[in-house]
Amino acid sequence: MTKINSICIIDDDPITVFGIQKMLGLVTEYEQLYKFVNGKAAIDGIIDMLNNNTPLPQVIFLDINMPIMDGWQFLEEFIKLKIKETVRINIVTSSIDDFDRNNWNHYKEQTHHLITFNNKPIKKEEMKQITKVA
Amino acid sequence: MRVHNKPLFIWHDPTTLVGKYDNMLKKDLKLANNYLIKQLPKATAFINSKFEVIHASNQWIKEFNFETRNVFGKSVFSLFKDGEKNEEWKLILDKCLKGQPSDLFNIEFKDPNGNTQWFEWSNIPWYDSEENIVGVIIQAENITSRVINEIQIEKLEALLLEKSEITKIGTWDYNIKTNKLNWCDITKTIHEVPLDFIPNVDTAINFYKDGISRNTISMAFHNAMINNKPWSEKSQIISANGIEKWVIATGQPVFKNNELIGLIGTFQDISDQVEGDNKIKENEHLLKTLIDNLPLNVYIKDRESRKILANKSECEYMGVSGPSELLGKNDYDFFTKEVAAENIKDDVSVIKSLRPILNKETVSIKKDGNATTFLISKIPLTNDKGEAYGIVGISTDITHLKQKEEELRHLINVTSLQNKKLINFAHIVSHNLRSHTANFSMLLDFLSHEKEETEKENILQMLRNASDNLLETLDNLNEVVAISTNINIEKTPVKLNNKIEDVKQNLSSYIVQNKATIVNEIPINAEIKVIPAYIDSILMNFITNGVKYKNPDKDPIVKISYKKENNYSVVSISDNGLGIDLKKYGSKLFGMYKTFHNHKDSRGIGLYITKNQIEAMNGKVTVTSKVGEGTKFNIFFNDKD
Repeated sequence: MTKINSICIIDDDPITVFGIQKMLGLVTEYEQLYKFVNGKAAIDGIIDMLNNNTPLPQVIFLDINMPIMDGWQFLEEFIKLKIKETVRINIVTSSIDDFDRNNWNHYKEQTHHLITFNNKPIKKEEMKQITKVA
Repeated sequence: MRVHNKPLFIWHDPTTLVGKYDNMLKKDLKLANNYLIKQLPKATAFINSKFEVIHASNQWIKEFNFETRNVFGKSVFSLFKDGEKNEEWKLILDKCLKGQPSDLFNIEFKDPNGNTQWFEWSNIPWYDSEENIVGVIIQAENITSRVINEIQIEKLEALLLEKSEITKIGTWDYNIKTNKLNWCDITKTIHEVPLDFIPNVDTAINFYKDGISRNTISMAFHNAMINNKPWSEKSQIISANGIEKWVIATGQPVFKNNELIGLIGTFQDISDQVEGDNKIKENEHLLKTLIDNLPLNVYIKDRESRKILANKSECEYMGVSGPSELLGKNDYDFFTKEVAAENIKDDVSVIKSLRPILNKETVSIKKDGNATTFLISKIPLTNDKGEAYGIVGISTDITHLKQKEEELRHLINVTSLQNKKLINFAHIVSHNLRSHTANFSMLLDFLSHEKEETEKENILQMLRNASDNLLETLDNLNEVVAISTNINIEKTPVKLNNKIEDVKQNLSSYIVQNKATIVNEIPINAEIKVIPAYIDSILMNFITNGVKYKNPDKDPIVKISYKKENNYSVVSISDNGLGIDLKKYGSKLFGMYKTFHNHKDSRGIGLYITKNQIEAMNGKVTVTSKVGEGTKFNIFFNDKD
């Protein structure tokens, strides 16, 4: 089991957050866990980390449908940030809309970060696969 | 024709006087006789029974150019050997010698200049004192000028006849003294009477149709006789065969020595012409009736774009009682400057290019602001040289059609919007239900593997929450479906001011709790047509929204105002709250489960339902907002449908 320095969960649904957190405990070890309830809170938090030279999360679990700033808007802002490291961003959504899948393809092409698209519910095996340093 | 039965001269031959006078005397007498004959003013010659010339007057010699030759003792036939009628003449002379004076005898004679001269010969026996015929006295009269006149008159008469036959203009004349009326053949033919018909004034007047025609002619005739006034009247006759004809009859008094002696005039059949005129008038009438009753605006403009014809529809559209109020005026007199300029530009282009404009859609705005959509066609009117002297304009009012088109387009928009909403709704449903089921599935999976009791209890609690969330979602979806299916609920007028007071009443504790002020600026009598259940929900939602997303530094103030705009009653609800970044969230503002403030009461369903309710009443909603200053929603309630 590889150890991950920090992981971030961006989701407004407490049940999903609980679920991801619980599964993380089963598949990996990590130093730090950040939780944000929407994209805006997350991007603000990450900019703070950059400013304070705090190491950035290596893996991000990102919901799409959120108030204030949704997952796509978060991605839009995130890929603009000057981050040398490759961050793994796992989109976790219940959406089966083609629109979302197309959006994923769109952002995937635009950045050096690793973006995956995952449908809920996520099984333990799957969780193991996507919880790795990119 | 003069006939000479009696001898004109009793001639005493000098030879017969022998014994009665002495020789001297005889000789003198003979000379005297000779001298006398020479001086006769008429061209006269005496010939003996052998047709030899014995005496001749100077005039005779001069008339026939015998000055250079000796005629005496020569036969007259040798003198006139050119004469073609010598044979005929000889017979006459023979008769004279037998005592029968001849009729007049005309011969042609060419003078030395080659001009034809006409002579009338009188041949009479020459008696001596014993009444013996000794020869013939020939007298010649030059009748050339008379003959020429006669030929001219003959020519004129023939010409007149031909002319009157061609033009069908007959003549008539009336002699007062004899009370005789004379009609020429043409006049008789027009009356359809036989050529031997003898008219008189009464029968002539009675040919005129009883009524105006007969009265007119009687008056004209009377006026000519009494006041010597000429006339020319168009009137109707009924011919002998009972056929009605249009004629022009003229009459003119004739004077001799200042005394009225009669009337002459012409008589012309103009039935064909009148019939033609009537036909033209009929056609004109037909055309006018047609043009006037076409459900199109028809007009003709001259080269300067002035109206020279306008039909009824055009007059009605222009708001005038008749074409006379339009004629000579151009579009600047009736339309706005822009419309008139555009119209005249079209007119000029058609006149210059000779190419018609067909079915062009234009909006005409009259000076009173009235706008009409027309399909216009402008066609050049050309003369025989191919130049345009104006245009014919035909305009079809398609305002109504245009409105229908607009309505249809609106309907299509609504339909496609509904369709979009439906797809959106389907996605919302699938997403929300999926997210709940995903949670159930995950939590149940945890539960089955969990061994720790407290954690089991924790998971169970979450399952309960998930179940509640699912129920709430289903309730919300139900509400949305209800709105979408209740589109046909009848709208009733509602006093808006009262409604707001009701809502304030219901929210009173909430308002007090938040230290909010609700400003109701709606006029007491303002009414809007709405579905009553929806208006409560709409007002409640917007007002609580304004309070809920208050600026933490200010006490919330929600202001509700009202105005009329076109077919809408516009209710504006503005607050001094947080405001929304419309650039970022504008497109999602009214989406389902979208909230823009991290607020514990945000459910993200309110605006979605509200918008659906407004749209179900054929209204719409717009929003303006500034982050940190507040938000203003404008709700458009449709007054019409």
